[in-house]
Amino acid sequence: MHYPEPISQLMDSFMKLPGIGEKTASRLAFYTINMREEDVTSFAKALISVKRDLQYCSICGNITENDPCDICEDKRRDRSTIIVVEHPKEVISLEKMNDFKGLYHVLHGVLSPIEGTGPEDINIPTLIKRLQDEEVKEVILATNATAEGEATAMYLSRLIKPAGIKVTRLAHGLSVGSDIEYADEMTLLKAVEGRREI
Amino acid sequence: MFLEAIELKNYRNYEKVEVSFSNGINIFLGENAQGKTNLMESLYVLAMSRSHRTTNDKELIRWQADFAKISGRVQKKNSSFPLEIVLSKKGKKARFNHLEQKKLSDYIGHLNVILFAPEDLSLVKGSPSVRRKFLDMEMGQMSGIYLHHLVQYQKILKQRNHYLKQIKQGRKVDEVFLDILTEQLSLEGAEVLKERYRFTKRLETWARPIHSEISSHKEELTIHYQSSVSVQSETDKDQLFTDLINNFKKIKKREREQGTTLAGPHRDDMLFYVNEKNVQTYGSQGQQRTTALSIKLAEIDLMKEMTGEYPLLLLDDVLSELDDERQTHLLKAIQNKVQTFLTTTSLSGIKHKLIDVPKIFRITDGQVEMESE
Repeated sequence: MHYPEPISQLMDSFMKLPGIGEKTASRLAFYTINMREEDVTSFAKALISVKRDLQYCSICGNITENDPCDICEDKRRDRSTIIVVEHPKEVISLEKMNDFKGLYHVLHGVLSPIEGTGPEDINIPTLIKRLQDEEVKEVILATNATAEGEATAMYLSRLIKPAGIKVTRLAHGLSVGSDIEYADEMTLLKAVEGRREI
Repeated sequence: MFLEAIELKNYRNYEKVEVSFSNGINIFLGENAQGKTNLMESLYVLAMSRSHRTTNDKELIRWQADFAKISGRVQKKNSSFPLEIVLSKKGKKARFNHLEQKKLSDYIGHLNVILFAPEDLSLVKGSPSVRRKFLDMEMGQMSGIYLHHLVQYQKILKQRNHYLKQIKQGRKVDEVFLDILTEQLSLEGAEVLKERYRFTKRLETWARPIHSEISSHKEELTIHYQSSVSVQSETDKDQLFTDLINNFKKIKKREREQGTTLAGPHRDDMLFYVNEKNVQTYGSQGQQRTTALSIKLAEIDLMKEMTGEYPLLLLDDVLSELDDERQTHLLKAIQNKVQTFLTTTSLSGIKHKLIDVPKIFRITDGQVEMESE
């Protein structure tokens, strides 16, 4: 028995989302049939809006409704420090800490020859241009602690440092509130390496 | 540690069988195709939760049965506890002390075994990749830090190989990026090298006296870790890092032409020498066997050093591969020390060499009977 055409089309669409396979897609599609019409309409509108109303900030590369984005436009923020991250999601996490008052730069990826991503394929040229045009004193590299994130950080530091700008990297080690007893060897090793005087 | 007893249900050709073992030597005696190796395999599965012969657990379940069960009782220092593995078509369950262990890594380690089967000769005779895999497997079990560096190394290697391949195909070279990949690779490579060298030396320390004993003091075994850079006990990580970097500078042109990483731990080897001659190339069959055996027996001592307990030794069809003298020395080396299980088709030539009285089990078509003597 085949699915009716509208159902199978909807299922195909659901299956384009990450983590959704055929069974989940079929469950969601059949659930949609019994949803209230207003809810379905607003769902569809939200989907379109996310695509139509959002753009990338021409300065920092973050997702925004207005270009330049609110953070880049905010005159109260400290323009001398920039945190470099891989993805827009990480800007949101860092903003939650409510402590950093500088600016951001979103790379949209990391250097990875396997995936065919070279320095010109991610937002590195725009970062270099920013550093030339603006009065930046420190760049904080907040790429992930993976092999690729580390390579990207090393690459950026090599490009930026000769310009006399301070380059720093986020600390690795124990997470806040954790027990040393339960930490794995590698985390402990990093924590000991990165210890500081008190 | 000792395995006191085992019970099999629907395991391979065993419908239901219960066996209690001696803390010394246990001999599984029987004709071919009666189930000797199956019984041996069940001990391995009980310890490691998987078979060394197949990756398909369903093969372990008796023909037309729904599940297979292996339960055993392990005695460690002053305590004893049950272990149980249940295999069904849906998957497997591992229980330690009647409690199900969701993570198999929590289960493995309660019973340690070292298996020596004829295939293990490839450790000496086979390609370098067999020996690198041996090093990585053994060291990975012992040290989480080694495993971490190894995994990082392999990831960066993959990236670097891809980049070199793209360069070979005519992509514009970003020298800074290639330098960084080389540095990262050398950084992790130095860690891997250092640890592998240390492990090789420890293995040699244990294997030398064993090899000497088995060969009636006629042969001297040395193990050499072969790498693109020279490693000595006193070489520190920073030195190794610098050496690796300098070596990459030397082979820069060739790497770009061939589009792949040409040096590093992934190309290293472990070489065995007997009386200063390379066993793989110049050794006799017997010398190769002795070497493989010494390495395996050295693992027993290494395991004891690591965990504080001797593992079980499983010798599957190995005796027939060794000459009379080597057999005698092997049996001497393990007696009164390690609980041993061995399979054989005939007792002649073995029994008189044993000081201990072995417990003999006669295996006929899925039935196990203790020989009364």
